[in-house]
Amino acid sequence: MNRPSVSRYILTFAILISFWYILSGRPEPFYVGSGIICCAIVTYISGDLLFRSEVSILESARTFIKFVFYIPKLLVAIIYANLDVAYRVLHPKMPIDPGFITVDTSFRGDVLRTAFANAITLTPGTVTVDVSDGRFVVHALVREAAEEDLLRERDMEHDLARVFGEESRPPSDETRGL
Amino acid sequence: MLNLLNTLASICIIIGLFFMVVAAIGLVRFPDFYSRAHACGKCDTLGEGMMLLGFILYEGASLVSVKLLLLIIFIFVTSPTALHAIMHFAYTSGVKPWKKGDARE
Repeated sequence: MNRPSVSRYILTFAILISFWYILSGRPEPFYVGSGIICCAIVTYISGDLLFRSEVSILESARTFIKFVFYIPKLLVAIIYANLDVAYRVLHPKMPIDPGFITVDTSFRGDVLRTAFANAITLTPGTVTVDVSDGRFVVHALVREAAEEDLLRERDMEHDLARVFGEESRPPSDETRGL
Repeated sequence: MLNLLNTLASICIIIGLFFMVVAAIGLVRFPDFYSRAHACGKCDTLGEGMMLLGFILYEGASLVSVKLLLLIIFIFVTSPTALHAIMHFAYTSGVKPWKKGDARE
């Protein structure tokens, strides 16, 4: 593992100190000073954590910005998901048909898998239950609707794959063995 | 202008409360563990988010608003993760899911 460069440390420190200032909100020298000391210690110990050394900062920034632009779409999906659940909760007959479905993806990156699992959890009637090697076990409140979304349309999968710069084709036999 | 903001804030808080109530009703009405987790995990996330958004609108531009905004981001990341952890544990320890047509508990 190569050591993180100085700019990584500076960026980490800048983020930490701004977070400190937001939480404390006091400009007096004592508070700012203790903030600087604490942030310096944390930066020294875990400067490699926030910006991983094998990815360039420019690359991380690009991914982050693309993800920020993806958020509105996710928000719409979240609101729709909540209205859907609310409808099913309040409907007198409670029209649910729960069950498990399995979604196969070719995702490799940890962050991408986490983002996808969280996106599944936040969108209509589905919760990620288990992840192993790009295979997601999903519990769906309404099985048919979830199969339509996740297995046939795969909108969210394509969007996230574009954000994180990975391919999103369904895994063939060769990739499934990984 | 201030009135408009306050009205918007109230609307957001009321929508948030509505979703929290729905989550509570779902917790009682749904038949099994997994669907109950669905109800409270999801509606809680949006409910809390909307309420905090209402607080931000009420508070206006200040440091408190920034803190509330950070809270919203934190909740939107952690709430699905916690829900996933609970579901995963239930799944691996073999909690049987309810199927359509089964008797209600």
